[in-house]
Amino acid sequence: MTIDALEERMTELDSPINELSRLLVKYDLTPNQAKVYLYLSKIGIKTASDVSKSLRIPRTETYHLLSTLQQKGIIFSVFGKPTKFNAVGIDESLVILVNNEKNRINELETGKESIIKLWKSIPKYAGNKEKAEDNKFQTLQGRNSILVKLEQMIKESSENILVLGTDSDFKKFHHTDFSNLLKKTKSELKILTDYSNKGIHVFEDIPSKKIKKLDDKNREEFCFIIKDDNEVIFFMTNSELKDMRAMWTDSKTFVTTLRSLFSLIWKKAHYIDESNVESLLGSEITYEHRLREIEQEKIILNYLQKNFKLLEHNPGAKK
Amino acid sequence: MSKSSAIKGNNIDSNHLNILIIDDNEQITKMLTTFLELKNHKCTVANEGKQGLALIQENKHDVVLLDLAMPEFNGYAIIKALESKDMLKNNKIIVFTASTITQDELNQLVNRGVTSYILKPIDIDLLLSKIIETATS
Repeated sequence: MTIDALEERMTELDSPINELSRLLVKYDLTPNQAKVYLYLSKIGIKTASDVSKSLRIPRTETYHLLSTLQQKGIIFSVFGKPTKFNAVGIDESLVILVNNEKNRINELETGKESIIKLWKSIPKYAGNKEKAEDNKFQTLQGRNSILVKLEQMIKESSENILVLGTDSDFKKFHHTDFSNLLKKTKSELKILTDYSNKGIHVFEDIPSKKIKKLDDKNREEFCFIIKDDNEVIFFMTNSELKDMRAMWTDSKTFVTTLRSLFSLIWKKAHYIDESNVESLLGSEITYEHRLREIEQEKIILNYLQKNFKLLEHNPGAKK
Repeated sequence: MSKSSAIKGNNIDSNHLNILIIDDNEQITKMLTTFLELKNHKCTVANEGKQGLALIQENKHDVVLLDLAMPEFNGYAIIKALESKDMLKNNKIIVFTASTITQDELNQLVNRGVTSYILKPIDIDLLLSKIIETATS
């Protein structure tokens, strides 16, 4: 196959190329960087001018793209005049890109201390002395931002974590550290959800004695997580990954209100494991339960008293 | 079959029902028996789950009033035992409970074969009409 024919074939394969470009963007490549890389990896050795013409990217930008891709280590130049370029194989390129990202994260981690040190070296001004009270609000958008906050809350928790929401609400966090951290937490964990024993669930690894069933009427309305009775993350829109929005706050009023709501629903809910419910029914007769029984006794007793009085006054009356 | 239940062919005489009450609350079972006997029905009482299950299996009753929350062998265990012997749907069982139970769970019990349910506390006349309605349904 001639190079021209291959180029034509690549135009025909627009859709998978676009899909690949989109995927490569996740590895910190711009759409045009991804296009150039894919072009070279499929067509083979080419000059900057060839790349520019074939991909209809301005020449200056093409030089810049080729230079960046070389710095990233996923294409290389071949000595000659004019200079030609070729791509590193896709497997190796992906390893390189992943490692680049890892290194960047490591740099960020190590740089953290220097930033804090520098920040501390700057004296505080008098006007900055105002202390932030317990009424902070933060709006979080997108799964990743929410996930980072959730993980932070669970890690920092030392007393209790209360989770309320349907399995579908939390499904977006399946196979993330969220469920692992919940499983490992040493805090008292209580989950109210529509979990059933059928199918795969976000909370499937959590002991059933920590999970109660969320009934129909409460399923669609709320989704929130409370940490140590002093922080809450409240989901506002929970549909698409990008559109997911949540609000985090340490407002005492807000936390207390949602805490009370949780306690109310928790009190009335049953454990997901029916045998657990059954054993509780036998041993843990609640105060409310006893009140209802007394009320029933009273109703029957009142009736009997009335009837026996009637019988006393009218002994001939039929029993 | 008890004479007092006065069954006419397949029909049940709603004025003379044969009722089994399974409830660990002795106050309730004693007073309910007095009340139902005043109304000319015959009552058998079990204050323990296992005794209740045995009575259901041994005798035919027009209706069974079953409490859920009982120590050791509770109402759920009775339902499960009857289910395993395919006897749940052959008995007219009214779950009679003061437990906090959701509508979902009540519906589940009915789907499994429990005839109906009554939540305590209930007005005594309503209780009686529910018993008669279930027995004659």
